[in-house]
Amino acid sequence: MVFGLFSLLMLWVTMPAPLQAFHLSGHAQGTTYAITYYAPDSVVTKEQVTQQLTEIDASLSLYHPGSLINQFNEARRGVLADRHLKIVGSAALRVYQDTDGLFDATVEPLVQAWGFGPQAPPAAAPTPATIRALLARVGSDKLHLRGDSLVKDVPTLRLDLNGIAQGYTVDVLAALLERHCIRDYLVELGGEIRVRGRKWPSGERWRVGIERPDTSAFAAPALQQIIDLTTGAITTSGNYRKFRQVGGVKNAHLINPKTGYPFQNEMISVTVIARDALTADAYDNALMGMDLAGALVFLRQHPELQVYLIYQRPNGTAADTATSGFQRLLLNP
Amino acid sequence: MTNFARRDFLQKTGLLTGGLLLPNGLIDVFATAPMADKIKIGIIGCGDRGKGLLKILQELPDKFEVIGLADELPFRLRDARKIDKAGKGKLYADYRALLDVRAIEAVIIAVPLHLHFAVAKAALLAGKQVFLEKTMTYDIPQAQELVRLAQQRPNQTLQVGHQYRYSPLYYRVKEMIAQGYLGKVTQIDCRWDRNGSWRRPLPEPGLERQINWRMYREYSGGLAAELLSHQMDFINWAFDTHADEIMGTGGIDYYKDGRETYDNVQVMVRYAREGMIGNFGATCANARDGYLFKLKGTKGTISLLIDEGIYYPEKETLKQYGTVDGVTGATKITWNKEGGIPITTGAEPLKDGSWYALSDFYRAIKENKTPDSNVLTGARTACTVHLANQAIYNHTIEKWRPEYSFS
Repeated sequence: MVFGLFSLLMLWVTMPAPLQAFHLSGHAQGTTYAITYYAPDSVVTKEQVTQQLTEIDASLSLYHPGSLINQFNEARRGVLADRHLKIVGSAALRVYQDTDGLFDATVEPLVQAWGFGPQAPPAAAPTPATIRALLARVGSDKLHLRGDSLVKDVPTLRLDLNGIAQGYTVDVLAALLERHCIRDYLVELGGEIRVRGRKWPSGERWRVGIERPDTSAFAAPALQQIIDLTTGAITTSGNYRKFRQVGGVKNAHLINPKTGYPFQNEMISVTVIARDALTADAYDNALMGMDLAGALVFLRQHPELQVYLIYQRPNGTAADTATSGFQRLLLNP
Repeated sequence: MTNFARRDFLQKTGLLTGGLLLPNGLIDVFATAPMADKIKIGIIGCGDRGKGLLKILQELPDKFEVIGLADELPFRLRDARKIDKAGKGKLYADYRALLDVRAIEAVIIAVPLHLHFAVAKAALLAGKQVFLEKTMTYDIPQAQELVRLAQQRPNQTLQVGHQYRYSPLYYRVKEMIAQGYLGKVTQIDCRWDRNGSWRRPLPEPGLERQINWRMYREYSGGLAAELLSHQMDFINWAFDTHADEIMGTGGIDYYKDGRETYDNVQVMVRYAREGMIGNFGATCANARDGYLFKLKGTKGTISLLIDEGIYYPEKETLKQYGTVDGVTGATKITWNKEGGIPITTGAEPLKDGSWYALSDFYRAIKENKTPDSNVLTGARTACTVHLANQAIYNHTIEKWRPEYSFS
C-alpha cells in the first residue's frame, strides 16, 4: 500500500508537466521584439529580457550615449571590449574577410558623406578629395581584435554595428531561453528571427513568412513565401530603392567601401537562413552589396547559408530565386 | 554592408508602403528635374485660402511665378504682398483687371463660393488656365454651365481645389480599396467638427458679410460645401461613384448669432450601385472627433486623418495573416497599440495636399492633361453638395439625376 502510493508519487514527479506557450513582447533598438516559448512555467520573464537588451545597448548601440561602441569611436587607440563587442566585432571582421571587403562595419563616414546616414544630408556630393580623405579612415583592415582589446590603426576610424547588432541580440535572447532549459521557442526582433524546436501541443514546426518588398503581398498572402523551420535563424535585408539626387546624378544608397563611391545593383531583398542570427544578419547585408551573379558564386562556396533573393530584372520587373536548400523549406514552392 | 541605419528607415517606412505604386502623374511630380519654364500665375482672392496657396507657391519656385494678386480688400493685398517673397506680384483691386493682363497664363481662384462661377467663367473666357477652389460652384445649374464652357475649351486646364485627396496617402488609400484590402465596403463615416464659431475676426467694422461670408446662405453652402465636400469628393473618386439618394438635417443649434448657415449638420447618403451608406456630419459645438474619416469593409477598416492613415484588419482577415509565427523582412510589419497598421507612402515625409495639387496643376498645363480633380469630378461633387444642402434646408430626400453624372 505504502509502496503503491510511493510509486504513484514517483510517477507524478517524473512525468513532465505539460508545456504552455508564453509570449513576451516590447520595444527595443528602435523596433519591436516578440518571443514565444514553450515551457512548463514562465521561467523567463520580461524583466530578464529587458535586462539583456539594456546590456547590449550599453555595449553596441550608437544611439546610447556612453556605450562601449561610442567610446571606441571617440577613442584614439581602442577600448577593452566586453563580451558583446568582442563577439560582434570578430564576426564583422570575419565576414569582412570572407566577402573580400564588401561587408565593412567602418563604412559609416562615407555613407554619411553621400547623404544616407542618420544625420542631415550634405548639400552637395562629396568631392574626390573628400572621398580620398574619408577612405583613409575607412576599412576594417585598420581594425583588430587583440586579446581583450578592440583597437584601430587610425584614431578617426568609426565602427557601426547596427547592421548586425539586431541579429546578435536575437542570438543573445535565444541563449537566455536555452539557459533556462527552453528548447521550443521563436525569438524575433526587427524582423530577424531565430527558432528552435516545435509548437506544442500540435508538434508543428515554426512557420515564418517572408515579407515581400512590394507590400501588396499583404493583400494577397499567397504571394508571400512561407517556410517551415525547426532550428536556425532567418533574417532579411532590403533595398528600398532609396536614392538621393545630388546634382544631376541619382545615387543608390549602397557605397563601395573600397572606392568610396555609390553603386547600384539589382538586389531588392535578401533573406538568409543560417545556424545563428548574427551570421544570417551579417551575410544578408553582404549579399545585398553583391550583384546577382556574384552572389550566386559566393553562395556555392557557402553551403551553410540558405538564401532567398528578390532582384530586379533589366526590364524593371521583380524576380526571385533561392538556393536549393531554401527551396526545400518553402511551404508552397 | 552596414551602409544604412535601420532605425532611421524603420521610422520612415512601414508595411503599407506604396511609394512605388503611385499614379504616373505623381511619380513625375516627385521626379522633378527642374523644368525650364515657369508658369506666370495670378491669385484672385487673397483671404485665408488664397494666402495659403500663395505660401505653397513659394515652395514651388521652379514651377510658378506669381505676377498678380487681386482682392477688393486692400489690407488683404498688403498681407499677401508680405508672403510673396519674390515681390513680383502686381496688386489689383478688381480681378477683371488682373484677367486683362496677357502675361498671366494661369489663375488661382479663391473667392467666396457664390463668386466661383462668375470668376471662373471670366477667367476661362480670358484664356487663362484655372485652379478653382472647392466647392466648384454654388449650385447645380452653374456646375452644368461651367462643364459646358470648359469642354468647349480643351486647351485650357480647369482644376478644382479638392487638395486633400492629392496627398499620396489618399492615392494609396484609393489603391488599397481597389486591391481589396477592405473587402466589401458598406459604411463610410465622415466628420469635420470644431468647437468654435467658425467666424473670422473683423479687421474693420462693416466688413461682416465680406469676411464672414460663410455665415450667409446667399454666399455660402455652409459646412457641407466648405468641409464635407472634401470627403464627398474623395468617395466619388475612390469608388468611381456618386450619391443616389441624399437625406439631411441640421440647424442653428448653438451659435444663434445672426448667422444663416447651419452650425450643426448631418447628411446621410445612399450609394446604390456600391451598396454603401455614407454618413457626413459637422458641428461647431464639439471638437472631440475633429476630422474623422472611416471606411468600413468586410475585411478591414481604414481610418484617415488629413496626413495619417491606419488600416485595421477585421478579425477574420487577421487570422489569414496570422498563419505564420513570425515574419522576416527589413521593413517589418509594425502594429500599433490598437491593432492597426500605419499606412505609409514612402520615405518622403508627406507635404501639404495643396503642394501636390499645385504640382499636378503645373503638369496638367504643361502636358495638356486632365488633372485628377477636374471640371467633371468637381461638378459631380458640387451637385452632391447642392443636393445635400437642399436636403438639409428643405427637409427633403434628394435624388441624383443622370445629367449630374457628367461625362
